[in-house]
Amino acid sequence: MNKKLSLSSSLLVSIASVLLFASLFFPWWGMQFIAPQYPEGLDIIVYPNKLEGQIEIINGLNHYIGMKEFSEKNFPELNYLPYIIGGLALLVLGAGWWRRWKGLAATALLYAVGGVLGVYDIHRWLKDFGTNLDPKAPIKIDPFIPPIYGENQIANFITHSYFSTGSFLLGASFLLILWVLWKERKRC
Amino acid sequence: MKKWIPVLSGVTAGFLAATVFFADFNVGTKTAAVDPAVKSNAEKVYVPFGEKDEYYLFASGGHSGQMFIYGVPSMRHIRTVPVFSHDSATGYGWDEHTKELMGGYTWGDLHHPAFSETNGDYDGKWMFATDVGNSRAAVMGLDSFTVRDIIEVPNTSGPHCAAFVTDNTEYIFLPTRFAVPLGSEYASLDEYSEKYRGVMSAVSFDEQTEKLNVAWQVALPPWSYDLSDAGKGISKDWAVLTTYNTEEATTNLEINASQADRDYIVLFNWKELEKMVADGQFDEVNGQKIIFPEKHKGSIYLIPVAKSPHGVDVTPDGKRFIASGKLAPAMTIFSFEKAFAAIENKEFAGERNGIPVLNYESVMEREVNPENALGPLHTQFDDKGMAYTTMFISSEVVKWDPNTGETLDRVAVQYSPGHSVAAEGDTVSPDGKYLIALNKIAKDSYLSVGPSHPESMQLIDISGKMEVIQSAPVNPEPHYAQMIKADKINTFTVYPKDENRPNSVWKQEDTRIERIGDEVHVYGIAMRSKFIFDAKSERPDVIEVNEGDNVVLHLTNIDLDQDITHGFAINMYNLNIEVQPGQTNTLRFKADKAGTYPLYCTNFCSALHQEMTGYLLVKPKK
Ligand SMILES: [Cu+2]
Repeated sequence: MNKKLSLSSSLLVSIASVLLFASLFFPWWGMQFIAPQYPEGLDIIVYPNKLEGQIEIINGLNHYIGMKEFSEKNFPELNYLPYIIGGLALLVLGAGWWRRWKGLAATALLYAVGGVLGVYDIHRWLKDFGTNLDPKAPIKIDPFIPPIYGENQIANFITHSYFSTGSFLLGASFLLILWVLWKERKRC
Repeated sequence: MKKWIPVLSGVTAGFLAATVFFADFNVGTKTAAVDPAVKSNAEKVYVPFGEKDEYYLFASGGHSGQMFIYGVPSMRHIRTVPVFSHDSATGYGWDEHTKELMGGYTWGDLHHPAFSETNGDYDGKWMFATDVGNSRAAVMGLDSFTVRDIIEVPNTSGPHCAAFVTDNTEYIFLPTRFAVPLGSEYASLDEYSEKYRGVMSAVSFDEQTEKLNVAWQVALPPWSYDLSDAGKGISKDWAVLTTYNTEEATTNLEINASQADRDYIVLFNWKELEKMVADGQFDEVNGQKIIFPEKHKGSIYLIPVAKSPHGVDVTPDGKRFIASGKLAPAMTIFSFEKAFAAIENKEFAGERNGIPVLNYESVMEREVNPENALGPLHTQFDDKGMAYTTMFISSEVVKWDPNTGETLDRVAVQYSPGHSVAAEGDTVSPDGKYLIALNKIAKDSYLSVGPSHPESMQLIDISGKMEVIQSAPVNPEPHYAQMIKADKINTFTVYPKDENRPNSVWKQEDTRIERIGDEVHVYGIAMRSKFIFDAKSERPDVIEVNEGDNVVLHLTNIDLDQDITHGFAINMYNLNIEVQPGQTNTLRFKADKAGTYPLYCTNFCSALHQEMTGYLLVKPKK
């Protein structure tokens, strides 16, 4: 029962590792704000290591509702997230080469826990930004939690939250591992 | 016999009535079916919301000192760009930078805008203009439609005959309208012929430093210089200008400068003049290198032309130039090739003021005299090389063929056109399509505003039979204009955030007020919807100084968002500046009035714009 994963499975796991590593270079998550004055939309685009988009403009507008400023230094995760993901990618690669089902399963579990934590982290920030509003802000709105995925209305803005290329690569990579685990469940 | 008359007339009347009431008169028009490709004039000038005009029109604002920007074909006024005059709408003339540009003057007489060129075609980068009122030249950057530099041109007075730009913007030439002694020094008018000069200046422009510079000058005879054009193609090293008052009259020019039958076109080779300067063939006067043509011969020639000419225009192929006397009925087509040959063969009719005069006959190619057309002023060209000349006295634009002299078309305008401008009509490749007549009189054309009538610009479709298709009133004074394809201009919308920019502040917590002796430096920000001058202060939007202090306010608009312009004005201090998104602007003033003065944002910026205020408190001296 302690046979090794097949060579093709090992190769698939390696691909999963590459996908995970590649996701570092793509945006993972984003939010677009659309208002009558901004038909072209304002963007916050989140990479594992940086923020992009019209952050300063969004901050300028958010001060009216008393929201804290988005900035890279407010998100310490952006400093170490690339290492975690890079490390995980190496772990997956290692599991692929080691070719032990249990090892791969353990990695997948770690992977899943990391993913859940990541989603929870985004949620935690959204909650923090949306509920800790300055009570003296000129525009009073009820505290709110923007959704991690989907549409929401804040004042004159409609927001669209979405997952992007990086998360898709991550998802594909995870599914690939699950597929290998499933395929090899009998053999090993 | 007579019985059938009532019968017949009854039948006829009945038939007529039936025809009138029941006949389908559309039959006739149906046969001449409306071609859907033929647009009505209203459709030709209508630019639906969401679409943009095809051309920018830059119209000189004459003594308004400003430049008017229009869209063509809609003829919608898009913007007034202040150049030589204060403009409170944009704060131009109050902040340190624009105050310095204006050099203490409060107005100017803006004439003859000219685009920068690359290989004889507009490149959409810069726009030059001159100030006849105070002898200056200006350059506007077309990335933001703002003036970058203004220089005073010494030894000269009233560069009206300008600006004209050479093939690759090597020089902007500024020949002058009024002759004065060099340096505008005092000299009796009895010594006019000896001591006065009509100086032409070659101004160069450095794109990197965005600075204008008088490279050298030519001390032309004491005549008046009116209009000019640079050569193209085979004539690209050359340029032509018209001159009047070669009589050298010193009073009542209306009579005295209209005596001689002929005045001159000045033809010069600027490449050779440039070389003369390099070879040291010049005198240094008031810090300028001046070529005296009578001392350093060659490169400048005179060609007789019908008296008191206005325009002189080079054809797009650069082979000919066209000029005419303002009061003469006919235009003359001159040939560059013939002029070059005459110069080569030293075929001169003599000299005037030390400058060789070419024979009219040996340079002239043809005289053109459209029937009853009077007062030819200025010529533009279309994509087929056809010429369009404004007729000031007979109030019309005449289209004619420079190759044959044949009149092709004419259209009446309202009234008295001075210049006209065709789409890219003075480049090596005119676009055709549109021509605008810049009319001097507009009585009865628009709703009355009292005795001062707006002047007018009329848009003429020249793609087929010439037709006036739109008319737009304009502030004084549209003198000359340039029309450029809209896609040649690339503007930016927000100043880049430059953390190293001197005196800029980008974070609220970095704002501060520093005192050095009696100078108070404020490093503040403007953002939707507040001013912050000193974040650590109890009231960050208040500037408190002592009576007599010099206040230097550096204000950065940290809203990096398109369209969020902030203004800054202080009540009763006669101050108003503007800060564009991402821009830092500096205002310097003496707090010489003690008291309490509200300050506020003048440019509507946001829902809480009305709250964007603060105070300047000036503590009285004890
Ligand atoms: Cu404002």
